[in-house]
Amino acid sequence: MTQTLEKVEQEPQVDLLFVEEAVGRIGRTADKMIPILQAIQEHYHYLPEPALRKVCQLTEITPSAIVGVATFYSQFRHKPAGEHIIRVCHGTACHVKGSELVHDAINRHLNIPAEQDTDADGKFTIERVGCVGCCTLAPVVVIDTATYGHCAPDSVGNAVADFLVSGAGSQDGQSEQRQDKVEGDSVPEIRIGVGSCCIAGGSQKVRHALEQAVSRHGARVMVKPVGCVGMCHQTPLVEVVYKDRPSRLYAKVTEDQASAIVREHFPPRGLWRRLRGAVHTALDHLLTDETWQPVTRYSIDKRDGPVCDFLSRQKHLATEFCGDIDPLDLDEYMRYGGFGALRKVLGLEESHSGNGHNGQAGLTQLKVKAAAGSPGIVPEQIIQTITQAGLRGRGGAGFLSGRKWAAVRAAKGEKKYIVCNGDEGDPGAFMDRMILESYPYRELEGMTIAAIAVGARQGYLYIRAEYPLAVKRIRQAIARLEERNLLGDNILGSGYSLHLQVMEGAGAFVCGEETALLASIEGQRGMPRLRPPYPAESGLWGYPTLINNVETYALVPWIIRNGAEAFSNLGTATSKGTKVFALTGKVNRGGLIEVPMGITIRQIVQDIGGGCAEGRKFKAVQVGGPSGGCIPAELSDMPVDYESLTAAGAMMGSGGLVVLDDSDCMVDIARYFLNFTQAESCGKCTFCRVGTKMMLEILERLCEGKARPGDLEKMEELAQVTRRGSICGLGQTAPNPVLSTLRYFRHEYEAHLKGHCPAGKCKALIKYEVTNTCIGCTKCSQECPADAIPMVPYQIHKIDNAKCTRCDICRLVCPVDAIVIR
Amino acid sequence: MPTLRIDNREVSVEDGATILQAARKLGIDVPALCWREGCTPQTSCLACVVKVNGGQRLLPSCATRVAEGMAVESETPEVHAARRMAIELLLADHAGDCLAPCTNICPAHMDIPQMLRLISAGRYHDALVVVKDKIALPAVLGRICPELCEKGCRRAAMDSPVSICSLKRFVADVDLESGQPWLPAVRPASGKRVAIVGAGAAGLAAAWYLQQLGHQCTLFDEHPLPGGNLRYAVPKELLPDDVLDAEIELTRRLGAEFVLNTRIGQQVSIKELQGRFDAVLLTVGEVDKVKATALGVDMAGKGLKVDKHVMMTPLSGVFAAGGAVQPMRHAIRAVREGRDAAHIIDGWLSGQILTPVKPDFTVRLGVLTDEELSIYTNGASDQERSSSHGLPAGLTEAQAVAQADRCLDCDCSKAEGCRLRGYAGIYEANYKRYAMPRRQVERVEAHPHVIWEPGKCIACGLCVQIATRAQEPLGLAYIGRGFNIRVAAPFDGQMSEALKTVAREVCEACPTAALTLREKAHEHAK
Repeated sequence: MTQTLEKVEQEPQVDLLFVEEAVGRIGRTADKMIPILQAIQEHYHYLPEPALRKVCQLTEITPSAIVGVATFYSQFRHKPAGEHIIRVCHGTACHVKGSELVHDAINRHLNIPAEQDTDADGKFTIERVGCVGCCTLAPVVVIDTATYGHCAPDSVGNAVADFLVSGAGSQDGQSEQRQDKVEGDSVPEIRIGVGSCCIAGGSQKVRHALEQAVSRHGARVMVKPVGCVGMCHQTPLVEVVYKDRPSRLYAKVTEDQASAIVREHFPPRGLWRRLRGAVHTALDHLLTDETWQPVTRYSIDKRDGPVCDFLSRQKHLATEFCGDIDPLDLDEYMRYGGFGALRKVLGLEESHSGNGHNGQAGLTQLKVKAAAGSPGIVPEQIIQTITQAGLRGRGGAGFLSGRKWAAVRAAKGEKKYIVCNGDEGDPGAFMDRMILESYPYRELEGMTIAAIAVGARQGYLYIRAEYPLAVKRIRQAIARLEERNLLGDNILGSGYSLHLQVMEGAGAFVCGEETALLASIEGQRGMPRLRPPYPAESGLWGYPTLINNVETYALVPWIIRNGAEAFSNLGTATSKGTKVFALTGKVNRGGLIEVPMGITIRQIVQDIGGGCAEGRKFKAVQVGGPSGGCIPAELSDMPVDYESLTAAGAMMGSGGLVVLDDSDCMVDIARYFLNFTQAESCGKCTFCRVGTKMMLEILERLCEGKARPGDLEKMEELAQVTRRGSICGLGQTAPNPVLSTLRYFRHEYEAHLKGHCPAGKCKALIKYEVTNTCIGCTKCSQECPADAIPMVPYQIHKIDNAKCTRCDICRLVCPVDAIVIR
Repeated sequence: MPTLRIDNREVSVEDGATILQAARKLGIDVPALCWREGCTPQTSCLACVVKVNGGQRLLPSCATRVAEGMAVESETPEVHAARRMAIELLLADHAGDCLAPCTNICPAHMDIPQMLRLISAGRYHDALVVVKDKIALPAVLGRICPELCEKGCRRAAMDSPVSICSLKRFVADVDLESGQPWLPAVRPASGKRVAIVGAGAAGLAAAWYLQQLGHQCTLFDEHPLPGGNLRYAVPKELLPDDVLDAEIELTRRLGAEFVLNTRIGQQVSIKELQGRFDAVLLTVGEVDKVKATALGVDMAGKGLKVDKHVMMTPLSGVFAAGGAVQPMRHAIRAVREGRDAAHIIDGWLSGQILTPVKPDFTVRLGVLTDEELSIYTNGASDQERSSSHGLPAGLTEAQAVAQADRCLDCDCSKAEGCRLRGYAGIYEANYKRYAMPRRQVERVEAHPHVIWEPGKCIACGLCVQIATRAQEPLGLAYIGRGFNIRVAAPFDGQMSEALKTVAREVCEACPTAALTLREKAHEHAK
């Protein structure tokens, strides 16, 4: 890779053979634009102009189109990048936990000058990224493919150092390798989470260590990768599951503890192995120079208080069997009832449920039965069931899914498409990533049923590029289902066909808007268009298209298997079933939760989340990301459903729930979101393009103490018209963070007008000071990157606020908490 | 044919028609900047929004299809406020003066660059017509004007300003000396009569325009000769009587009558004038309490009390302008007020409607950076400034042409055709309401037929659509997204490569002066 880059830099003549190869492999039609650009970027690390011109020569793609697309999506670079890319996540959770300070710290660490993004050696390029969806580990930094969580300004250098030592391979090198099957029902399992958060927490290393320990000890146990457990605040999680005994859960397991866990549960068999085990144990002692502590110290019982609180209020439908099943083990998915819903739809009787490992054989039998004329469920009935269940779109707007399906079914078109909207761009949300990574078969089963219902035979899963693991697993899952005739032509002999493919996004939040997403699949700039016509009538290439969110499809199999009533019995009068939320921010137990609609905010934040961390006061919860709003702590008893949230000025959105405490400034939060939407606006319509920019200007003035009288009124006016006049969901909801904070926290805005930030967050309005508790240890002085603290040992230190950059390092490193913000 | 109601007016249109089409059928001028017949609606500018069926949303009328029984709100304060906001937001991100700074500073808002271009082309008569559209007494003012306009001249930053005032005098003198001075066309007589009290600069100017508008004026003055301060206060060496008389004569030739040696308020009362005339205009110059009482009009501050916007005194049909309302330092202001009064009185006479005279809409950029200024100074004439100010002799023809050539043409080349400016005027937009760091002024002239000014682009995308549809080999592309979205030729190409076949259509479609056909630049001059 380095060679390629140097070549590019040395000679302006770029070797374009790769372009020819890529175009030959990917295709020459206009819709192949984004995959071609992605291939070029992967190869050259950026998009060299000669390569783009070459693409125009070789394909139907025009210069106007390629330049338009290449400059629209933020994934694409137009100048050479360093050897490694450092992506600093600026998602909401990361933001409230100080991602800006981390970003600055990396720039300092690598000596990257202002206005530039690459260090002098061309080793690292630093980029901002909207949200990588590892919010419980905030602040997060991704170096190439290795994710580092809980970064802090004073320690982020360690992440860079670790990366240089172990490389990206430390996290995913072993990834989708599988241990040989240990057959037999009674074999216990050691389950290890392999969701992105777990992997970022080091679960691949732990898994590898577990596997080594198992083979070393010859333990009769299966190390099984499982999807997200949801307890992301405890990653990596290891669970030892017996068929006949209560299971045991270990939290925050490290590599070193793997061997101990295995030994604890599965004592080595046979004298030789016992001996070898003993030697290892002795070595462990020598190496760690610690007396043996039983691993039970790290273990948790699921019935224990906090874990019980975290799990007991949840209701797993979309995330059914969370933590129990291997994401890519199709037979296991079927043992757990997977494809039961599809069988029901196709009229293939279930010969067995919940037992047996012969999924393949079973299905062959079933085919015969189908041929014998089992009735199944006709499409209209499927739609009726979904309608009766009261399922509403989980992408944010909450449109009744049954009604949408019926519209697509009724629409006339020589063909129809089905699309899964997996462009989960909301910073602070990672529900869809988790579902795609952990339950790929469920997602595809749901889509297949929906496709049958509406009459679609082709479709796409549009997944954002920031979710590589989700993309990989869905691709693998599609391939396996095709092998087993659960996808493709004439599914299980039913006469129905469905061809699905993955389309990777290229970095544009607005592509979560359905018309923009469709434009993106077609290979265009992701610019939304005015609806009607809705995609149900005129979607992909003008054909009727069903487009639903990831979670919506994931709920379908459950509804079909358990019936509409079982689903509609959950939730409230108008919001049925469950909702998956990403609970992050200033909360003790962050994670991925699925709860019945109608649960109160208090139950989520206090009971499930365990309240605010570090003893801080719960101030508000930001619901729905950039489209949503902030609901103050006083309204905690409000039920969470579509209507209540909208009435409170927020929005269900896709389900990000970021908890804010009294150290969070609401003006800063509004500015953060406006900065996000403003950067993500497609630029088509005036209110969104210029209106959000103007609102942001005012918010920036507020945060800098430069606001003028009348600014609040002007901002409100802009917010109202932008909300009502923008043509797509992004623009219509962009003002929500401003309007909701103005509604509940106007006093904070007014304080900023007077040059005061009550939460002590806005850099221009705060000062760092040293209190009398200072012991004169000089630690702050040593660490201060701005030389703002003179080195005077054994005296109370002083901070020169003219030099101070408010990087927060001194406060973090002070051993006696003597540094305060005023 | 669905039938719908727009502002409670019923209209039937073809199936599939848009609300915009329906509104146009009713003669409603909905501002649709990014809409063009035959193009797919861009739904970008959102200046065309309407409210439908009482809903909360504001929908772009250009792309919203009508439905039977639809109730649309278009010309309501709420909808207008939203449209105004759209226009103001576009103006906030639009770098370009509409009118040149000289025109903006000139109290009479005379189209100076236009006059200069015509002089430069040897078309002195046409130049005079431009001048007299705003300034009734150019030969007079060309001698005594304090050259305010020249303070704004962008050329001053390069060397020295264009001698605008001398050039104004030049065209006026050429006209007077021709023996057949120009007389404008006059509207058919309205049968209305206007009394103008005071035949000074303001009164003479009012008469010049009221006569053109078809109204019979009678100017009353207490002096034996008309001219007021122009005759009795300005030094003769600056303004010889023959020049003043020559321009007053033109007003007379238009049909104005003069009643001299007559003091209104003494010999004749205002009431009497009100009885004999359809309107009265008081241009008596500075007043004191005694004079005001004699006229029967209250004082407010240092002049007669008027409604500032429409110049009417508390007496119905009695107007006041010039020094009578506020002491005037410059005759040019009085001339401008006389003209404004003429237009307000015209409205009053034709139906008792009082409409304020609005200055033409313009963005004022203020100071340009050196780089921006170089757009205008590159290739400019290197002639030195010469002026006839304060001198008995005016510029020679050769001097005048050379001086007029010095103009940098810094006014907008599409000032009259720009739809953004047009609607900004109609909607009384305030281009400063949403002030933010402004874009750079740019002008690229690489295309043989097209002037490209990227700073004026509102990213509506009509040009991209037209070039794409015409399958231009290079064409135009959107570059980037969001607030930083721009339109340009791909791969840093030139406009000359980008627009091979559709330059004309693209320039016509462009709602601003971002793309202007060279042959149509400053078209109103031609």
